[in-house]
Amino acid sequence: MNNVDNLINLSKDLRWQIGDDFHDNLAEGIYADAAEIVKDSVHKKDENKKLRLDATIDRIVTSRVWGFPIMFLILAVVLWLTIVGANYPSSMLATLLLDTVHPFLRSMAVAASFPAWLSGFLIDGVYLAVAWVIAVMLPPMAIFFPLFTLLEDFGYLPRVAFNLDYLFKKSGAHGKQALTMSMGFGCNAAGVVATRIIDSPRERLIAIITNNFSLCNGRWPTQILIATIFVGAVVPKAFSGIASLGAVIGIAVLGMAFMFFVSWGLSKTVLKGEVSTFNLELPPYRPPRFWKTIYTSLIDRTLIVLWRAIVFAAPAGAVIWLISNIHIGDLSIAAWSIDFLDPFGFLLGLNGVILLAYVVAIPANEIVIPTILMLTVMVTGISGGEGAGVMFELDSVTATGDILKAGGWTLLTAINLMLFSLLHNPCSTTIYTIYKETKSVKWTTIASILPVILGFIVTFLVAQIWRLF
Amino acid sequence: MNELNYSPLTALLTFLGIVLLLFLLFRPGKGWFWLIQKNKESSRKVIIEDILKLLYHSENEEKSLNLVDITRTLKDPDDLIIDSINEMAEHELINLEGEHVKLTQAGSEYGLRIVRAHRLWEKFLAEKTGFAEADWHKIAEQKEHELSDADTDKLSARLGNPQFDPHGDPIPTNTGKMANVTGTLLSEMEVNSFGRIIHIKDKPDIVYRQILAENIHIGSHIRIVEKNANRVVFHSEGEAFVLAPIVAGNITVTELKKDVKVEENIARLSMLTEGETAEIIGISKEMRGESRRRLLDLGFVKGAKVSIELPNPLGEPKAFLIKGTSIALRNNQASKILILKD
Repeated sequence: MNNVDNLINLSKDLRWQIGDDFHDNLAEGIYADAAEIVKDSVHKKDENKKLRLDATIDRIVTSRVWGFPIMFLILAVVLWLTIVGANYPSSMLATLLLDTVHPFLRSMAVAASFPAWLSGFLIDGVYLAVAWVIAVMLPPMAIFFPLFTLLEDFGYLPRVAFNLDYLFKKSGAHGKQALTMSMGFGCNAAGVVATRIIDSPRERLIAIITNNFSLCNGRWPTQILIATIFVGAVVPKAFSGIASLGAVIGIAVLGMAFMFFVSWGLSKTVLKGEVSTFNLELPPYRPPRFWKTIYTSLIDRTLIVLWRAIVFAAPAGAVIWLISNIHIGDLSIAAWSIDFLDPFGFLLGLNGVILLAYVVAIPANEIVIPTILMLTVMVTGISGGEGAGVMFELDSVTATGDILKAGGWTLLTAINLMLFSLLHNPCSTTIYTIYKETKSVKWTTIASILPVILGFIVTFLVAQIWRLF
Repeated sequence: MNELNYSPLTALLTFLGIVLLLFLLFRPGKGWFWLIQKNKESSRKVIIEDILKLLYHSENEEKSLNLVDITRTLKDPDDLIIDSINEMAEHELINLEGEHVKLTQAGSEYGLRIVRAHRLWEKFLAEKTGFAEADWHKIAEQKEHELSDADTDKLSARLGNPQFDPHGDPIPTNTGKMANVTGTLLSEMEVNSFGRIIHIKDKPDIVYRQILAENIHIGSHIRIVEKNANRVVFHSEGEAFVLAPIVAGNITVTELKKDVKVEENIARLSMLTEGETAEIIGISKEMRGESRRRLLDLGFVKGAKVSIELPNPLGEPKAFLIKGTSIALRNNQASKILILKD
C-alpha cells in the first residue's frame, strides 16, 4: 500500500516538473515525426504542369483588376439564368397543377359528392398550397443548385471566399460566408445547411443567423412583381424597366448591407465568447463531374428542401382556407384578424392583409402574393379571384396592380412590402433547418425574431418619414 | 383605423423615446439594468473575497495594508467595506493590528482559493472560448466568486491541471502548491542579454492594453538592444520593439544562459514576402486552444517548408503553400507562426 502511495506521489511530482508545455511539445513532436516519415516514404509524381495551369487561373481570378468583376459577373449570370430560366418550367407546372389538375380534382369531388367544406379544405386549401410551392419553388432550385454545385466542384468558390475574406473579417465573419450568402440567394434553408463548410463555431452561427438577409428564390418574384407594378409606374415609360430592376437590386444590396451590419453586431455582443478560428483551403482546380454533380445537387439539396417545404405548406394551406371560411358572427376569422392588424399595419406603412398574409404564409414566401390577392379580394368585395380561401395569381401584371390598388395600396405600401419581404422572419423550412443545424432553441429564436424586429423598425421609420413630407 | 388622431411626428418621437429608454437601460457596461444587477451582486461575500485577495497579493509583495489603503483600492462604498472587515475579524480571517490589517492562516488559505479560481478561469477563457484577451481579467473577476471548490477542481482537471495562467502567473493547486516564478523585469535587463518572456502583468489596464497592442507574447525570445531612462529597445522574432520603462516593468523575463543557442534570425510568417521560402520553427504560445490545433492539423509544424502561394487582392488572407497544399491564413494568425527564412 505504501508503495502505491509513493508511486502516486512520484507521478504528481514528475507531472509538476515537466510543466505545462509537455502536452504541446508531445503533440508537435508527433506531427513533426509523421512529417519526416512522409518525406522519406511517399513519392509524388511530377505535377508541375498541372500546378502551373492552376497558378495561372488563380492569378486571374484573384487579381486586383479582374478578381471582383469576374465574381460579380458569375453571380449575376447564375441569378439571371435561375430567375429567367425558371419562368418557363414554372408556368408549365402552374398550368398543369393549378389550371388543369385543380379544376379536375374539384370536379372529381363534386362527382363523388364530397361536402363543400371537405373539398374546400382538402383541394382549395391543402392541395393548392402544396401545388403552388412545387410550381414556384422547384424550377429555380433545380437550376440554381446544380449551377452552384458545378462552381463548387470546379474549385472556384473557395477563391471567392479568399477574395472577400477581408471584408467579412471586418464584420467578425468568415470569408466562406460569401458562399453561404450566395447559396441563400437560391434558398435560405440550403444556405443554412451550407454553413457546415465554416468550421469555426462563432463564424458559423453568424452565417446561420444572417443568411435570411439573402433574398431567396421565393422572394425574388415578389420583389420583381411589386417593383414592376408600383416603382416602374412612377418614372417615364422608357425607364420603367430599369427603375424596377434597380429597385429590386437595391433591395438585394440592402440585404447584404444588413448582413454585414448584423454580423458585426452579433460578433461584438451575444457571440463574443464563442470560439473563433480561421483557415481556408484552396483546393486544386479540377474538371467538374457533371452528372454526379447534377444528381447530388438534385437529390441532396433540391428534393430535401422541397420536401420540407411541402410538409410545412400543406397545413398552411389548410389554415389559409379555414380562416377565410370559418365565420365568427358575420365575419370570417381572416376578416377579424385583418381588422385587428390594420392599425399596426398602418403604422408600418403596410396593412392588415399584408401582415396576416405573412403570418399564415410562414411556411413559404412563395404563397405570400397569392394569399395577399385572395385576402384583398375577400375584404374589399371587388370581383375577381376564385372565392374565399382559394389563393390565386393573375397572368396580367396590370390586373394584379388593379386589385392591389383597390386594396388601398400606394407607392409607400409597395416600398415597405419590398422592405418587409427582405426583413422578416425566415420561412418555417429555414427555421426548422436552423434548429437542426444548431440544435439550440436560443439561436433558432434569435435567428427567427431578429429579422422581424429589424423589419418592423425599418418599415416604421420609412412610413413616418414618408408621411412627414 | 385611427388615421384621424395620428401624426407621423408623434409616432416618430414616441419611437425615439423608446429607443432612448432601451439604450439607457441596456447600454453595455453602464446601462441601468446592468448597474442594478451589479449592485445586487456586490454582496458581502464578494467584498470579503475581494479584500482577502487584495491582502493576499500585497502580503506576497511584502507590503502591509491599512484600512485607508483598502477603502481606497476597492470601489465599493466605504461603510460596506468597514462592515465586511469587522465580520472578517469575527470569523478570524484577519487580525487587526492597530491600523494594519493582516491575514490569518485561514484567511490566507481562503485568499489563495480565490486566486486559484481566478487564474483557472482566465486559463479557461483563453483555451476554450473566443473572448478577447483584454476581457479575460474582467470576466474572471466576477466568476471567481461564483465557483465552488468542487467546481474549481473540476475545471482544473478539465484544463489538464495547468501550472500557469495565460499571463504567466502560477496557478495554485488545491493543496496550495504553486510553481515558482523567478525572473527579471524587462526594464532591469542588461543591454545585449538574451531572455524569454515568462510573465505579462494584466494591471493596470491601460498598460496591459498597450502591451497587447504591440503584439508582445509570452514565450518570445528577446535580445535587449538599448536601454536608457526614456526607453527600452529589444529585438524579438525579427521585429524591434520600443517601450517606455514603466511599460517594460510590467513584463518579466527569464534570462537565457549564453550557451543556449538563440536564433537571432527568427521571423514571423507574416513577414515572409513573395518568392521567399522559409522553415517553420514553431507556433507562438499566444496561439491557443482550437486555433492552435487547427494549424497543427493543417501541417504548420516544426521543420515544414513554407512559401507564399497567392497574394490577396485586399491584402489578407494570404495563401501559403505548405506540404503541397494551399492554405489561406489571416495576418493575425501568420504573425504567430515563427519561421527561419532560407
